Amino acid sequence: MVIDQLKSYLNPFKQVSIAPLISFRIIFGALMLFGISRFMLNGWVETLYMQPKYFFPYLGFEWVRPLPGNWMYLPFFLMLISAIGILLGFLYRYAAFLFFLCFTYVELLDKSNYLNHYYFVSLMAFLMVLVPANRAFSLDSYFKPEIKRDQVFAWHSGIIKFQLGVVYFFAGVAKLNSDWLFRAQPLKTWLQAHHNLPVVGSFMNDNWLAYAFSWTGCVYDLTIVFFLLWSKTRPLAYFAVVFFHVVTWYLFPIGVFPWVMIFSTLIFFDENTHARILNRFGAGITRFTTIGQKKSGWIKPFLILFVCAQLLIPFRYLLYPGDLFWNEEGFRFSWRVMLMHKEGHATFYVRDPETGRESEINNSDFLTQTQEDQMATQPDMILQYADYLHTYWKDRKQHYGDSVFYIKNPEIYAEIYVSLNGRPSQLFVSKEQELAHLKYNLCHRTWLEPFHP
Amino acid sequence: MAQMKQYFLTLPIVAVIALAVSCKKKDDTTPDFDKGSLLTNVADNIIIPAIADFDSDLDQLLANYTAFQANQDQTHLDAMRTSWVAAYMSWQTVQLFDFGPMTTNNLSLQIGTFPSDTALILNNISSGSYDLSASGNEVACGLSSLDFLFYRSSALNDLQSNANYQTYVGDVIQKLKAESSQLKTEWTSYRSTFVASTGTESTSAFSLLVNEFNRHMELAKNAKLGIPLGKQSLGIQLPEYIETRYSGISLDILKESIIRMHQLYNGNAYLNSATGAGFDDYLVYLEKTDLSNTINSKYSEIFTKIDSFSGTLEEEMATNTAELNVLYNLIAGQIINIKTDMTSAFGVLITYQDNDGD
Repeated sequence: MVIDQLKSYLNPFKQVSIAPLISFRIIFGALMLFGISRFMLNGWVETLYMQPKYFFPYLGFEWVRPLPGNWMYLPFFLMLISAIGILLGFLYRYAAFLFFLCFTYVELLDKSNYLNHYYFVSLMAFLMVLVPANRAFSLDSYFKPEIKRDQVFAWHSGIIKFQLGVVYFFAGVAKLNSDWLFRAQPLKTWLQAHHNLPVVGSFMNDNWLAYAFSWTGCVYDLTIVFFLLWSKTRPLAYFAVVFFHVVTWYLFPIGVFPWVMIFSTLIFFDENTHARILNRFGAGITRFTTIGQKKSGWIKPFLILFVCAQLLIPFRYLLYPGDLFWNEEGFRFSWRVMLMHKEGHATFYVRDPETGRESEINNSDFLTQTQEDQMATQPDMILQYADYLHTYWKDRKQHYGDSVFYIKNPEIYAEIYVSLNGRPSQLFVSKEQELAHLKYNLCHRTWLEPFHP
Repeated sequence: MAQMKQYFLTLPIVAVIALAVSCKKKDDTTPDFDKGSLLTNVADNIIIPAIADFDSDLDQLLANYTAFQANQDQTHLDAMRTSWVAAYMSWQTVQLFDFGPMTTNNLSLQIGTFPSDTALILNNISSGSYDLSASGNEVACGLSSLDFLFYRSSALNDLQSNANYQTYVGDVIQKLKAESSQLKTEWTSYRSTFVASTGTESTSAFSLLVNEFNRHMELAKNAKLGIPLGKQSLGIQLPEYIETRYSGISLDILKESIIRMHQLYNGNAYLNSATGAGFDDYLVYLEKTDLSNTINSKYSEIFTKIDSFSGTLEEEMATNTAELNVLYNLIAGQIINIKTDMTSAFGVLITYQDNDGD
């Protein structure tokens, strides 16, 4: 009995109303239109993708290069156009695919700009390509009424709910660490900075508030998705979603992410609610099954693969020894949001092994402020930067006063101090360690100084 | 049933209030602090008096220039030199606040760029036609250009016999004076914006102040000391990069600049060093008194080391590199205390983009 219920619940090919999927398509298109416009109006295309001299690529994606000069605006304009395509359901699959392609391309250019919510958008855009979110209340179905459907497979909206659930749940799992729970860090640091707020400001440096925020945030992340799934708790849970994200939006500089979550989680509401609201705008979604759809054979294996990958990737850090926050091995793509406050100062040196002569490097000659700050605390970026410096200095003619130098085989060293979650700074990379000869790969990095909690 | 519900609602609220009250009591032992009073203190007791001082030093310089025009002798050149040194010294405080009125007019670049391009200066003088505000001329018109114009070996003779030279000096001084007046005026209206900007965003006054403080510690280390010392040129010394090379006051300038940063750190008044709210009080408020003490004692070490030099920076570079390296490393160590430990404790944002805390 229970097993049957569960089977029916998890059956990816169960017929369900298309309404939630349609709502989500409109919401996603509108949010992306807003997010990309905001990004462009803030001038970030120029500061993040045109001004830097060097970009930090992801391992295996070194071939993803920025477009020259103003051409960098092209993917952003294409994203605007395709977001409108998604919103209106016009040439929907092409629009969704174009959006996914452009967005992912931009994100792959420079890991200094990595944000969990960008990864989330990439995944969502990918899922949007796969689902038939244009089969009602869309320009596509207006021009080609024969594609119109009232019902779709359960997995079409289920996979989106799953992805949202993964974000929350793993963000909660990530908070189950001693800094978060027993030192209330980094929230203690971030909250006290608001001590000038009217009324609530006087509590902002209080320990109890930091602990209350930390523990509530953790419980919220771990449980919210289950309360959203259960119809009895859903209205209250959604109220909690709105409250939680509005508070984080107010206190922390996390951009559009709170709004993305507030609107995306509407997909958890039942199909009748969605249909009622959409029909008020003339969507014409009825409860009658129209023509059945064919079940592709690749759906089940794909779903299993996707779900497993999403469940396993956040745990890949277990393959590495040492402290996750310090070493950052397996840190990204794991929904570790608002989890640490890491501040570093990196001094790089180039040395000529033949003469023993050494120069200190002015990082701002090569990196933007953002890149330098990100690089100073992230080991993989430190290696990439060292490699870049090595290439830059190799055999380059340097004039100093009346002397000319060539360094045949420049060695790169760095002395880096890092403060993690309010602790006093500690040595992160020692100047004894030559960096340019080290390979950038996924193996455990033994050249970092050990962390002293 | 309804009573039951009320009870369940009241309980957590009472608990939270009780917790708040009990914690508040405990907090009475830690000193009160807020960023608003720090900003007010810094604006009223450091920035505005320093700008006024800088402006009056330039008034004096202009007066001495007029006096020199009437009596073109060594005594009157020395008077100009003295008021130029005073202006250069007060600039060491003013330059720390490179935001608001200072950036809108690019004043930091116009006034403080060094080293000067002496060839360009001589070229401007001999041609007699120049626009000092033109882009490219910032290396020929700031405070640093007067170091060359007043202290090169032929300075007195040039001033006496070369009308263009004398005019050029006058133009430079008048430009500096116009800039300081502008700065002074604009700060009177910018003050209210500044002291009210207590938020956490990267454009808030507090973030700007902390970031500039960091940046100027690095400038003291690199531009004022490291680059001439050869730290960025494979150990080859570059005396042509020395700030105020001709007057030889470089080490005094370096010391003044660090003294003023130390005062800013402690919130001490520009005119009489009276204590006020500073970064040190913020650290104490955050229960990081140890860090605050470490930073203060590191400053003392730096001052002791600078005081151990008797010659000019150029002389010391030639004979005493090892000790200059010690000084350099002391400043570098202080930068780690300030940039990594202090800044992260404040929760200040350096970047303006979205972030999710990783």
